[in-house]
Amino acid sequence: MDERFSGFGAFILYTITAGMMVFILAPLLLVMAASVSDSYFVTFPPQGFTLKWYAKVLQDRDFLEAMRLSILLALGTTAGSLLFGVPAAFALVRGDFFGVAAIKGFLLSPLIFPALITGLALLQVLNKLGSTDARLNLLIGHIVVTSPYVIRTVVTSLQLVDENLEDAARTLGANRLRTFWRVTLPQIASGVAAGGLFAFMVSFDNYPVTMWLANSEYSPVPLVLMRQLVNVFDPSVPAMSTIIILMAMVGVLILEKLVGLRRALAA
Amino acid sequence: MKSSEVRLERLSKEYGRTVAVDNVSLAIEPGHMVALLGPSGCGKTTCLRMIAGLIRPTSGDVFVNDKRMTDVPVHRRNVGMLFQNYALFPHLTVEENIVFGLEMRGMSKADAARKVSEALSLVQLSNFGKRYPAQLSGGQQQRVALGRALVIEPAMLLLDEPLGALDKGLRESMQVELRALQRRLGLTTIMVTHDQDEALTMADKIVVMRDGKLEQVGSATEIYQRPASKFVAQFIGASNLFEGPVEQRNGSGAVIRVSPELSLQVDQLPASASDAMVSIRPEAIIVERAGQASSAQRANSVMARVDQAIYRGFVSHYYLRTPSGGQIIVFEQNQSQQAGLRYAVGEEVVARWESPSNHIIARH
Repeated sequence: MDERFSGFGAFILYTITAGMMVFILAPLLLVMAASVSDSYFVTFPPQGFTLKWYAKVLQDRDFLEAMRLSILLALGTTAGSLLFGVPAAFALVRGDFFGVAAIKGFLLSPLIFPALITGLALLQVLNKLGSTDARLNLLIGHIVVTSPYVIRTVVTSLQLVDENLEDAARTLGANRLRTFWRVTLPQIASGVAAGGLFAFMVSFDNYPVTMWLANSEYSPVPLVLMRQLVNVFDPSVPAMSTIIILMAMVGVLILEKLVGLRRALAA
Repeated sequence: MKSSEVRLERLSKEYGRTVAVDNVSLAIEPGHMVALLGPSGCGKTTCLRMIAGLIRPTSGDVFVNDKRMTDVPVHRRNVGMLFQNYALFPHLTVEENIVFGLEMRGMSKADAARKVSEALSLVQLSNFGKRYPAQLSGGQQQRVALGRALVIEPAMLLLDEPLGALDKGLRESMQVELRALQRRLGLTTIMVTHDQDEALTMADKIVVMRDGKLEQVGSATEIYQRPASKFVAQFIGASNLFEGPVEQRNGSGAVIRVSPELSLQVDQLPASASDAMVSIRPEAIIVERAGQASSAQRANSVMARVDQAIYRGFVSHYYLRTPSGGQIIVFEQNQSQQAGLRYAVGEEVVARWESPSNHIIARH
């Protein structure tokens, strides 16, 4: 937007924007505040200041084990959905075959399909297939749910790539794979990064699909958090949440520095 | 650089029901520069991309030095190609852009570096190697693209409207420069353009295309002076087109009756023809004041009134109207001493020309 807003319109606009910011951020700040409360229950406003809940969480075996599982799962999901989503996006944008639109709709459908149903459907299919390893099932389930995010962002950035660049590379002696690697990928790096970040975060805090596919041995963070919440709602729950929020923020900042995430998300 | 002979044999490309290129056969001599010229949608770019290997023909073949290339993938064809929007890799510096093709060929770093610096000096950009494309002007970017295409020592150079995005002055100087370089290297070059001036300036041979078909192939002089069809006569330069029945035969020629006040003497006309279409270039017509002219009822001569007069610097354009409503366009070169237009709007004049200027259009 080049024009500056002024007058009453600007006042309304800024008020609404500020309101939205508060609406989005307040719950997060509330959680952060509750995590340092020196009390045995979650209270607001927090009473006193202590980091003992963090100390407790960081010594909690269940939580640490869940963190480890969730991070590995999210990394695997990110890799898997990129491996699947980037070529799929490429085919959707560059492909000129029958039913491109229908396939696109199908590949993006997990975005609009209720995740609870997707999870249940996956559980039944994987059971039928005799797949009993919860970790593998979780990985498959998460890739199904996160791939549409990757496809979405990569399709958007691919559409902005000048096809003449690829043609030029090919006339210069690059085959399709090298053309993709040396010319196309650098152009869509921000879209790929954004898709990857989405995949990681969506996998990391996915509850509805995870709930169906996890078991008592392999429980990712959202399940452990939920269990903790139901059992003892002490400030260790907000402490866990705060750790996750900070992780997400650091991830976003690093990607922003590396590839200009803002540009990719705005596209 | 060795020169290649390029041959297209019955080349066609269909997209569904649309025929983009229709049965095109063409031979391009080694070292020649050929321009594919035509309006947008005539199939010239599709043709060029089939030669490059970027588009697979529906039928027909491309031969280079008698070797069939149709099934050779683009990255093995060794063609240098220039695009209208330059298509420089934005994430690479000028040097990295130019070295790209050499890296794909697995050339050693030292050899590649030497080649790159040769290429940079060839396109007069020796001090720009470390810059990124976005830091260069349009003309400089196209020079980089040229260096990148030439450094791989291509079998041929393919130009897809290469100067279309440049402004007029720069475009004209680049045309001359590119042509000189192409001659010096003796590199077979095929260019696509919709700009007739560019084709006339640069090409040894012009291929006029229309609706996917070849309309006429010839040198600039042939195409301009002896257009084979009505389309070519109108597309290349301006033309006065007249049509009428044969009124009288004289030797191998004939008199064509165009309108009550205008008849044309043509020197050659096939005996079988009962009518003819004739094109006369606007600069072949001489305009005189009505009073000065000798008797009006002669062939290749007509009374007219000046409808519009446009002063264009070294040339003036007159749009004349004959009594029966026909329009005649005349271009008259202005003499340096003379001030402005010689005839005013509304003035009665006589337009006349010599019979060799009457060119019979074979196809119309």
